[in-house]
Amino acid sequence: MSRCWLALVDGPVHGADAAASARTLDGQPAGALAAWSRAAKPVREALRVDERLIDADGAAAWISLVLPPPGVRLAFDDLAVQQARRLVLLHPFPAAVSTLLRDDSHFEGAITVARSAEDEQRLRDDPFARIFPSRLLAVEAGILGAVPAPTGPTIERYGSGNPWPWDQFA
Amino acid sequence: MSEGRGRDGVVGADAVGELAVGGQVPDFDLLDHAGNQRRLSQLVGGDPTVLHFYRGWWCPKEQAFFRRLVALQDDAEVAYSRILSVSIDSPEVNAAFRAGLGARWTFLSDPDRQVQTQLRLRETTDTLNDPYVPAVVVIGPDLRIHAVYNGYWYWGRPTVDELVKSLRDLSRALRPDWEAPTP
Repeated sequence: MSRCWLALVDGPVHGADAAASARTLDGQPAGALAAWSRAAKPVREALRVDERLIDADGAAAWISLVLPPPGVRLAFDDLAVQQARRLVLLHPFPAAVSTLLRDDSHFEGAITVARSAEDEQRLRDDPFARIFPSRLLAVEAGILGAVPAPTGPTIERYGSGNPWPWDQFA
Repeated sequence: MSEGRGRDGVVGADAVGELAVGGQVPDFDLLDHAGNQRRLSQLVGGDPTVLHFYRGWWCPKEQAFFRRLVALQDDAEVAYSRILSVSIDSPEVNAAFRAGLGARWTFLSDPDRQVQTQLRLRETTDTLNDPYVPAVVVIGPDLRIHAVYNGYWYWGRPTVDELVKSLRDLSRALRPDWEAPTP
C-alpha cells in the first residue's frame, strides 16, 4: 500500500522528501506542494498519493488539484468517481495522475499533472473536477514526476488501499 | 478452421505465425497511441491480457471486431484484466481511431513492421497495406500464450464469451485466492 503523502501547505514545509512552491495561473502565491514517504501522516491535510507521481528531480508542471469541501468525501466506488476514472483513460493521458485518499474506501481528491501547453489546456476539463472543485496551479520543479498511462481498461484499484491508477497487486 | 477451432478440435487452439498456445510472445517495445515507448511486459503487468493484432482502422472487419472488444472492456475494467491492440498505423492514427471507438485501453504502433516480421504476421495477400494478419492471443504475466485465435477469416475471431472463458481460466490459474475465503 502506498504510504506516500501529499499536501498543499500554506506555511513552511518541515521534513518533506520533496517540495516546491505553487502559484495560481495568474501568478499569485499558493503555498507549497509537499510530499512525504512515511507510514504516519505528516500533516493534518495530507492525503495518500501514488508514490510514482513524486520525483524530487521532476520538472516544473501545471496541476489540477481536486479537493472536496471540508467534511465532505465520497465512496471510492461512487458512480461519479467511476466515471471520472473512465474518462481519464478515454482522454489523452496527462503527464501523471493520482487519486488522493485518506483511508481504503473513500475518494478525497485527485491530482493531475500537465507539462505540455496542450495538456495544460486539458486540465480545464479535468474529469475529477466534475466531482469536487479544482484549483489550477503552476508548481515549480522538485516534486512532480511522470507516470506512464495505465494499460487500461481497468478502473479498479490493485489492493484496495492504493490510489488509482496504481496497476500492480505487489 | 472456424470459430477459432483448431485441427485438434480445441477452441482457440489455432496457430498464427509464431503465435501458438504454450509459446511465449517476445517482450517487444513499441510506441503507444500517445507516442511513448512501451514494453509489452510492463503493459501486461500482473494481469491476464488480450493482445490483439489488427489490420488497420480502414478494414470493416476490424471495425466490427473492435465493437466486441469495446463491449468486453466494460467487464475488463472491473476484472483486473487488460487489453492491447497492435497495428502498423502511426500513433496519431491509432489515437484518433481509439478515440472514435471509445476504447480505454492502449494501442501500439508498429509502422516499421519489426514486431510483425518477428512474429511472422504479415498478411501477404494485402500488398497495398502490408498489414498484420488479424490475430488475438490471451497471455499471462509471463507472456505465455493461453489461447490463440486466427482472425484472417472473420469467423476465426473469438467471441466475447470465448475471451471471457480464456480470461476466467487464466485468472483462476493466476490468482492464489481464486477460491474465495469463507468461514
